[in-house]
Amino acid sequence: MRRFALLILLGLGLQSLVAADYPPDQRHYWRVVQPIMRKHCNEACHNADDKKGGLNLEKYDFIRRIQADGELFTDLMQQIEDGSMPPQGRPRLTPMEKDTLFTYIKRYLNDALSKPDPGLIPPRRLSRREYQYAVEDLTGYSFPARAFFPKDPSGGEGFDNYAKTLYITPLLMERYLEAAEMIIQETACAVEEWEKIVPNSSKKVLRPFALWGKQLWGGEVAKTQARIAAAERVLYPFATRAYRRILLPAEEEQLINFFEEVYAQLPKDKHRFDNGIAEALKVVLVSPNFLIRQEGDRPTELPYLVNDFEMASRLSFFLWSSIPDDELLEAAYRQELQDSSLLKVQVQRMLKSPKVKRMAESFAAQWLDIDKLSDPSHSVDGDKFPTYTPDLEAFMKEEAVQYFYHTLTESQNLLELLNGNYTFLNRPLAEHYGIEGVEGLALRKVMLGSEKRGGILGMGSVLTASSLPTRTSPVLRGKWVLEKVLGTPAKAPPPDVPELEAAKNTHEEMTLRELLEVHREDPAGLGGHQEMDDLGFALENYDAIGRWRESYKPQLAQIDASGTLKTGESFDGPAQLKEVLKGKKHLFAKNLSQKFLGFALGRSINFKDYKTVQSLADTLLEENFNSTQFLESVVMSYPFRYKISDPVVVEDDF
Amino acid sequence: MKKNQISRRTMLQGLGASMAIPFLEAMVPVGIDPSRYYEKNSPKRMAIFYFPNGVREDKWTPKGWGTNFELSPTLKPLEAFKKDLIILSELKNNLVDVRGTDGHYTKTAPFLSCFNITKTTGANINVNGVSMDQLAAQHVGQQTLFPSLEYAIDPVKGGVDSNVGYTRLYGSSISWSSPNQPCPREIDPVHAFNRLFRRFVPGKSQGTENPFKKSVLDIVMQDAKRLNKHLGAADQNKMSEYLESVRSVEKRLVSDDKLKDFEANITPDIKKELLRLNVRVEDYAELNGGVDITTKVRLMMDINALALWSDATRVSSFMFGNSVSNRNFTFLDGVTGNHHTISHHRDNANLLDMYGRINYWHTEQFAYFLNRLSQMKEGEKTLLEQSMVLYGSSLRDGNRHRPTNLPIVVAGQAGGSLKTGQNLNFPKETPLANLYVAMLQAFDVPVERFGDSERVLTEVLA
Repeated sequence: MRRFALLILLGLGLQSLVAADYPPDQRHYWRVVQPIMRKHCNEACHNADDKKGGLNLEKYDFIRRIQADGELFTDLMQQIEDGSMPPQGRPRLTPMEKDTLFTYIKRYLNDALSKPDPGLIPPRRLSRREYQYAVEDLTGYSFPARAFFPKDPSGGEGFDNYAKTLYITPLLMERYLEAAEMIIQETACAVEEWEKIVPNSSKKVLRPFALWGKQLWGGEVAKTQARIAAAERVLYPFATRAYRRILLPAEEEQLINFFEEVYAQLPKDKHRFDNGIAEALKVVLVSPNFLIRQEGDRPTELPYLVNDFEMASRLSFFLWSSIPDDELLEAAYRQELQDSSLLKVQVQRMLKSPKVKRMAESFAAQWLDIDKLSDPSHSVDGDKFPTYTPDLEAFMKEEAVQYFYHTLTESQNLLELLNGNYTFLNRPLAEHYGIEGVEGLALRKVMLGSEKRGGILGMGSVLTASSLPTRTSPVLRGKWVLEKVLGTPAKAPPPDVPELEAAKNTHEEMTLRELLEVHREDPAGLGGHQEMDDLGFALENYDAIGRWRESYKPQLAQIDASGTLKTGESFDGPAQLKEVLKGKKHLFAKNLSQKFLGFALGRSINFKDYKTVQSLADTLLEENFNSTQFLESVVMSYPFRYKISDPVVVEDDF
Repeated sequence: MKKNQISRRTMLQGLGASMAIPFLEAMVPVGIDPSRYYEKNSPKRMAIFYFPNGVREDKWTPKGWGTNFELSPTLKPLEAFKKDLIILSELKNNLVDVRGTDGHYTKTAPFLSCFNITKTTGANINVNGVSMDQLAAQHVGQQTLFPSLEYAIDPVKGGVDSNVGYTRLYGSSISWSSPNQPCPREIDPVHAFNRLFRRFVPGKSQGTENPFKKSVLDIVMQDAKRLNKHLGAADQNKMSEYLESVRSVEKRLVSDDKLKDFEANITPDIKKELLRLNVRVEDYAELNGGVDITTKVRLMMDINALALWSDATRVSSFMFGNSVSNRNFTFLDGVTGNHHTISHHRDNANLLDMYGRINYWHTEQFAYFLNRLSQMKEGEKTLLEQSMVLYGSSLRDGNRHRPTNLPIVVAGQAGGSLKTGQNLNFPKETPLANLYVAMLQAFDVPVERFGDSERVLTEVLA
């Protein structure tokens, strides 16, 4: 019936045209490729009437429609590849069918990708993390931005440096003004820091050789000139660092004029020079040139290399979550950053800086979703878990950050994120994990004697963040593994079916037998979430705050941590799960590539980035997950170095 | 920001009577003619209260329709305000009921805007309309220090929900100043209080205003305009956000008229309340946020109420939690779990019981707010009589996720525009937007249609 409908549709649409008038690849699609889809996807589920999962695959009569929905088809191919589609109980594709489908769909998509497109990166304001670090690098003062600004929303790959959700609002503007006051005030009080910024400070007790002071006998004009020269020596470098580029003459003039204006209005102030400087510095900290990262557009529709200073910013915000240092700005000034080999030199230098830890903190906390621990609505139940203190929570987070940092910079092996024979502990955290012999409060690298810890899956932070306040949730943990490790998130449950996490929620109160029943029960409405449950159950030896347990407390019911993936691999317990996941390192590599690229670019990763993501994943696999080579590849990737202008024409006068 | 601040209460304890002097001084209306404020046309206020995860159905709807009804168990805490309430049944947010989409985000974000939202992880954020509180704010906002104020308890939820393909920002936003931009919410009582009232607290205001602030703003405005010339259209969006923000701040912080107007609103009664609140806010700061959630909610509500009373704004919204909030409610007797999980009760008696208790707690807090408004006098009237306060959720039953028969209460007479003391039943699937049109009209906003509205819900109008 449906097939007739399609023929009629084609007939009407084509009028007098016959199939022979179409290019060979289109005819081949109708003859060879589409029937496979029809047989396995459309007929029972994904047709115009049933639209299972909201998806109608009947409408893809033409290759160009597939190309337009490239992301969807990439996703479909992935699901067929990992065995989640067609679902259990439906006939599998023969190897021949699978091969044909993959070969041709990939070819169509590759054709669509042949035109390089680095994607649009809209201007974005600094996230509050970036603001904090930039201020620290500018002034030496560690401003508590996270307590002061509202939390930034996230988008794209799940990071808060996402251009489109970094709104600028009146509330924020008020805070920027206040923050600038506080920062400059604090900095001016810290004499040493202040003198780094204002070497000719009037606050120095002894200043016989203060640069402009020498001109005291030179008359008003000379005095003014000397003062301005002194102010310039303070303001221009500061603003250049803050704006991350060469200042425009108008900007220089504006800052100096303002300095002079303030200076003139403070005749009786013995620190009028410093106070004039202070006000001008506040301007810099509130200026859009500082707060907003934006790159100039060129009048062309073709992609082009970003300029050197823009590249310096892309690099430093990616690797350091902050502004470029002087050396990077110098390199940009020497126009070295458009040269691949010189660019790599900078990357290698930057990766040696401790500022990489900021990236580790930002990336790991968001990727692993342990940022959630600081969300007050996700608090661990204090009555049930009295040993879970804010300090312990901080140590747990620090463990994750230090571990991640270690894989980035020391071991340089990102695969150790999945499994390692070490972790970072201090005494309280070691006690929490039941590991003996770790003293002191400073976290340090500890070699492990068992496979209970080591890697993200054994981390208290991750295990707590993927639990409920009072107990574990295998469903949440399974979801976490699929999403964060494998990059293959489970599909949403059908509407009106209880959300994933709620489907099973009282296992800790159940007897072993009940538990097994629930565990093995096929939740009819959830359609194939068995795998997710199994992944979560494999981690049931960790309680809701990440402590090891051999049984459920109340009834001493045993823990069943065994399971099977759709692709057939079985496991029992976390150690085996880790091995199974390592066997899926191609998925992990791809996921890591996508997350890093999204983080580096501050935008969503979409179909057009497919090749970039794939080649980054290949780099990881070929280079044994070497972090330096991987990060270099991210920097060298096409979308990181190129940009394309916003296509809409701009009116010139404002 | 600074630590080791001594809270006012501590000082009072330590210094005894000496503290009485600034306190009393503060009570004296310096240069303010108290009658001035009341002579002004007493304005109407609008406050919105959103709670996540729906309600236990069988304990929500009151018995008996019309004016003769009996409050349901969940609404029992509102007994004292029964004559000030309109309870509405069978309203539905129609356009957001799209099958095959997600259960929460798609209903939370458009709770006040009534259009289907665009599915996105961030690139195309769009709720396809302005929320009704923001429409009201655009109408009356120019007359006050802030067009509107948005409050919440929890920070924006981070990350994207890759299971369903939505940015979690959607689940943290009900107030939308434009279809593409949600209003940021103040979640910290210290910041929220300081933003409005710090300059009126004795000992806090001396010499803090920087005389160069206006110049700073002028210069950065020039920077923005200069940048704007070199940007593409999409890029200009960001710069116009910046420019609008600067202008808004300039108007508020630098314009003497606005500040003086606001200062004139601070009557001795308001000042008294303000000082009392300041003590509690400072205690909160001292405890570094380590207070129970009820205390924090009430603190935010007090600030919210005072903002309305002092006419700092006439429109506010408040979120008890973000979409899918899984707040731990074990602090309530008889509750052993967390909100979202319990809301998926699967008709389990035990979970239903807990669900009802969590609902009840929310109503209690709402009653607290109404009580505050009823104690705030404006001339002969109370603030509650001058206000319309919406209380509701974007789901009915948390187990079923449907935006049908939404739990909605409107309190206050809005200056005599609303007919309260009614329990109203409507035909099934009556657009929620019908109510919003009526509320907007009662708020003197000249609109005939909103969202998918079909008519004005005149039943609520006086």
